[in-house]
Amino acid sequence: MVRTLAMFTDTSLCIGCRACQVACKQWNELGLEVPEWTGGYQNHAHFTDKTYRLVRFIEEPGGKPNGDLAWLLMSDVCKHCAEAGCLDACPTGAIYRTEYGTVNINQDVCNGCRYCVSSCPFGVVSFNESTGTAKKCTFCNDRIHNGLGPACAKACPTESIQFGFRDELVGKAAKRVEKLKAMGFKDAQLYGADAKGFLGGLNAFFLLLAKPSTYDLPDNPRLPQRNVMVDSLLSIGSALVVGLGVLLSFRERGKGGPHA
Amino acid sequence: MTTNLIDMQNSDVIMATSNMAENHPVGFQWVMKAKERGAKLIHVDPRYTRTSAAADIHLPLRSGTNIAFFGGLINYAIAKNLYFRDYVVHYTNASFLIDPAFKTPTDLDGLFTGYDPAKKVYDRSSWKYQVDGEGNPRRDNTLKDPQTVFQLLKRHYSRYTPDMIEKVCGIPKAKFEEVAQLYCSNSGPEKTGAITYALNLTQHTNGVENIRSLCMLQLLLGNVGRPGGGVVALRGHANVQGATDLELLYHELPGYLPMPLRDQHPDLKTYLERETPKGGFWVNRPKFMVSLLKAFYGDAATKDNDFGYQWLPKRASADAYSHQHMFVDMYEGKIKGFLADGQNPAVGGPNAKLTRAAMAKLDWLLVVDIFLTETAEFWKAPGINAQDIKTEVFFLPAAPAAEKDGSLTNTMRLIQWHDKAVTPPGDVHSDADFFCSLAHRLQKLYAGSKKDRDKGFLAANFTYGAKPDEPEMVEVLKEINGVATEDITDKDGKLVYRKGQPLNSFAHLTDDGKTTSGCWIYTGVTVEVDGKLVNKAAGRKPADDKDYLAHGWGFAWPANRRILYNRAAADLRGKPWSEKKKLIWWDANAPGQKPEDKGKWVGLDVPDFNAFLAPDAKNGDKPFIMRTDLVGGFFGPLNDGPFPEHYEPVESPTKNLLSKTQINPVVKIWKVPDQKNELAPVGSPDYPYVITTYRLTEHHLSGVMSRYLPMLAELHHSHFAEISHELARELGIENGEKITVLSPRGKVHVTAMVTHRIKPFTINGKTVHQIGVPWHWGWKGVDELPGSRGDITNDLSATVGDPNVYIQETKAFVCNVKKGVV
Amino acid sequence: MPKPPHWELMIVWYFFLGGIAGGAYFTAAIADNFGGARDRGVARAGYLLSLPLVAVCGLLLIADLGVPTRFLNMMRTLKVWDPMSIGAWIVGVFGLFTFVSSALSLSSSPSHAALRRKIGLVGIFFGFFLASYTGVLLSNSAMPFSAGEGWGKLKHADRYSMLVELLLLAALIAALGAAARPLVSGHFATLFWGGLIGLGLLLPLALDLLGTRARALGALAAALVLIGGFVLRYVVLMSVQA
Repeated sequence: MVRTLAMFTDTSLCIGCRACQVACKQWNELGLEVPEWTGGYQNHAHFTDKTYRLVRFIEEPGGKPNGDLAWLLMSDVCKHCAEAGCLDACPTGAIYRTEYGTVNINQDVCNGCRYCVSSCPFGVVSFNESTGTAKKCTFCNDRIHNGLGPACAKACPTESIQFGFRDELVGKAAKRVEKLKAMGFKDAQLYGADAKGFLGGLNAFFLLLAKPSTYDLPDNPRLPQRNVMVDSLLSIGSALVVGLGVLLSFRERGKGGPHA
Repeated sequence: MTTNLIDMQNSDVIMATSNMAENHPVGFQWVMKAKERGAKLIHVDPRYTRTSAAADIHLPLRSGTNIAFFGGLINYAIAKNLYFRDYVVHYTNASFLIDPAFKTPTDLDGLFTGYDPAKKVYDRSSWKYQVDGEGNPRRDNTLKDPQTVFQLLKRHYSRYTPDMIEKVCGIPKAKFEEVAQLYCSNSGPEKTGAITYALNLTQHTNGVENIRSLCMLQLLLGNVGRPGGGVVALRGHANVQGATDLELLYHELPGYLPMPLRDQHPDLKTYLERETPKGGFWVNRPKFMVSLLKAFYGDAATKDNDFGYQWLPKRASADAYSHQHMFVDMYEGKIKGFLADGQNPAVGGPNAKLTRAAMAKLDWLLVVDIFLTETAEFWKAPGINAQDIKTEVFFLPAAPAAEKDGSLTNTMRLIQWHDKAVTPPGDVHSDADFFCSLAHRLQKLYAGSKKDRDKGFLAANFTYGAKPDEPEMVEVLKEINGVATEDITDKDGKLVYRKGQPLNSFAHLTDDGKTTSGCWIYTGVTVEVDGKLVNKAAGRKPADDKDYLAHGWGFAWPANRRILYNRAAADLRGKPWSEKKKLIWWDANAPGQKPEDKGKWVGLDVPDFNAFLAPDAKNGDKPFIMRTDLVGGFFGPLNDGPFPEHYEPVESPTKNLLSKTQINPVVKIWKVPDQKNELAPVGSPDYPYVITTYRLTEHHLSGVMSRYLPMLAELHHSHFAEISHELARELGIENGEKITVLSPRGKVHVTAMVTHRIKPFTINGKTVHQIGVPWHWGWKGVDELPGSRGDITNDLSATVGDPNVYIQETKAFVCNVKKGVV
Repeated sequence: MPKPPHWELMIVWYFFLGGIAGGAYFTAAIADNFGGARDRGVARAGYLLSLPLVAVCGLLLIADLGVPTRFLNMMRTLKVWDPMSIGAWIVGVFGLFTFVSSALSLSSSPSHAALRRKIGLVGIFFGFFLASYTGVLLSNSAMPFSAGEGWGKLKHADRYSMLVELLLLAALIAALGAAARPLVSGHFATLFWGGLIGLGLLLPLALDLLGTRARALGALAAALVLIGGFVLRYVVLMSVQA
């Protein structure tokens, strides 16, 4: 693997212009989608098979350092987790990790079992009815393999979305968060920057101005696969109970003779 | 704008009065950069927008009270002694003495001297400086004389107290003082602040005075011509600046030369005499005008025929041919034919119902656009029976920017070239192709004409390059730039320009017919280097440490100057006011104009000044070179007064609390037959709410370039109105339900967006609700996206105008809101 | 916010039939190996029942794919920690066992029978896996409900497992707490309490305890257990995705 690439989305610089969302749609040729009413500017409510970048608009009364209303703007995207639930769940190997550390779905291999959809702790992966396959942000795989940054980062006018080597971006991000804290944003925090943190770190990580749940992000996302061992043991345990029961009943019937 | 967006990163404080983050997101990167460097961002807007989200402080004010607010800041800066005194004394007309007969609204209850209530105009004879024996303005540099502009200004705005601001604008006193202190304290040698504005200030019946009031504040704080300062005029789309420079306007010719008036300018001599001031750079107006006429009419323009001046159309009156006037005339049957090129007035113009009704009275309508707009299909409007329309309508598909070569001049006067990326499909042509082709066809039709008036049109050249109907756009740019019409030599007989060579500078233009220039301010954009034509608009050298203003990227008029009036960045002696705020300065040791001279203005920008005029020379300390008196003007006579004064919008929920003069006394209100322009009385219970109209990042203007593109059109669910939780509660409206917004002119059905971002105001002790409605929607859109279609917001607005430029008042009027579709 | 996979009725049937197939094979193999001579019939019936059921399971699984023609892509990899991957393999492997066991159960040769019993003992594991891995499959998801701690298993067979199910369900509901609300008090509450707990568990348990000698009642109890099993899978899957 070559040096890991990342996207750093600094929500403190986001102005909610949605250039990223549109650039993503345009570059990836994602089609038309009838929006639902979300109560405000945000469309759509969640990631879909045609919306890989999604700018969230969150009204937070009292959320500004001076106590004013905050309108939290955040361009959300697939996190390209170092430990990716979707990738682990994929039974066909369609979901793979590139040499840059990004997570991608090979559309020619995916058979649409949709297990990855529910395995993503962030609800990123979506099922496309017309292709019958799972879809999500590709980190503009075609672009990064041709020396270009992702379309969303390219389109961002305020450098809220930065693209580069992960280690460099993490350093930048840490400095930025300190600065914001000094400016009075007491809840400013990085989300997914720490490679020792949850999911082994996110290759698309964020600077948030409020706690993650405010942005519809889990506070402490975990790999769904963590359940496999416990549940399997439970299964074996219950199998033993049931097996014993069945065994006993047949033993009893075997002993009982014709009257049983 | 006076400055450059890149330079905004140097601001210590930025006051956005427009919604810059949403409407100028790319330029807004420099505001974010300034913020990263520790600058504070104040957002003054009735609505909490994406700009407010990025701001340190959001300050909502009632729509239509901008002058009250800026007047309050001027008052605050003077009262707290926060203004930049050296700058004010030397670089502005603050020290000039005004005619004793001049009286202000303080004395005349909202009026200036000379008001004629019958004609609704001012006699401006007392609005003038006192002059000495030589005709120079009398000054008092101590600023103490009560007749100084400064004292008059101080007295005028002393009424604009924080208490008054609270009552009029609905800004709590403490909040106002917090903002006033923050903004005004960033003034002086070490600090600068920038103010942005856009249609938020212009689209009012006090539009021009709104802008003047902000300019005055900037002068007072020493924020013009200096890094991080400036009046940041944000233009409405990619090429509004270019359209203004080349004057796709009713009242000016290219390069801000007045369009002749029929009665005032019978011949070129009179025109030049009346329009050429005694001082300032505009003394060169004859050179610009003659060069323009030479560019228009070529060899046919000679000294003997006034260079073809008589072939120019003349205006009948000052307001004739302005946008609203034109549609009133059209409705009254005075205009028979209409060519709408890249414009969608059926949606975008004020009082759009009147606009559409007016077009129904035309004999013919030709629409040239990239999509089939509502204007092209006004006869299909909901509720219209096409059989009743007699207008013959033509539509020609046009090529968008990517399908043609050309340039766009953006908001910072930056001319940027673009190459054609793809050839337009089918029978689609660029505007330039269309107009050249049309001109050639018309010339054929007029070919036999013996009439004098047709000679100019027949002489005019519409061929650029080899193909008559497919102009080479670089050739067009060259014509705009200007060329020598014959070999030009210097006094030693050395060839300076050979015939046909593009000119390097507007300083070389002459009034004897030896030069042409289609727009003098653009001269220098295409030059010849080593015999080769160099298009500077195509330059793409980005900013670097040595040149943060990126002089190699495009070409900024005039003369690639990035910050106007930048002489003001240095003190009287030519030294930077401070190291931190240096821009250009006088280098006494630099080689001068002649080999024997020394001394030159040098620095980080091209001097907007005579580069060799020493600070101690005559007028060497006067930076505002475009003004007759060479200084910034606090006192600046316009049609509605030399100082901005607060008047209520034509439609307002309240009486004017500052004076008995309710609205702009010289406002233009068009009388339109058939109740097509009804107005609500002051405080009308039928229309109790203030409404403001605006744009969104996701859509473009009347929606022509966004409603047909699914990836943009889907970003907003449907046409909506933003209303407060308080109003929603009062009216029992749920977020997301359909509501009806009504004005005396019309009504629209929209989705209610109930939000914390809109709050009611307390005006003079009473709650006043304000709502916001974007105006991008029309009845056409993408079939699969029902929300891409919607009612036309401009059906609500009125046909009223500012008395200087006749712009509409669509940012502040009144309405009612009803639950459901009624 | 995590998303449901939008598994619909086909997958409910697959879970259900897979459970029966696994249970039938399990029961058959136990009966074959540990039962008396009279249990041979049970064994044969179990083997023969499991074969078509697992075949239908496979077809359901394929039909539910977004691109059914790519079902073989499941065989490109084997991820032992991935229930979906394992599941796909298990259907195949278990299918093979049911086929062989069924074929052998038709033979009267004692050597065939001995082989069948040995194969059955191995096949039990796969059958059991098929019947119970669906719980792991569901819990191995980011959805808050199924990802809750202590997610129980889908059980079958007779009174023991019914008791176990009741206990496990009680434990599940308790462990899930608020997350179980859609199940116990939401849209699916009636189905859950009436269908699963009442019809599927308590009633058969009561019938079972009342009179094992009444064959009709026994058959009814067995049918009800199956209905209960189906309902359990249905409500769990659907309430997760609601």
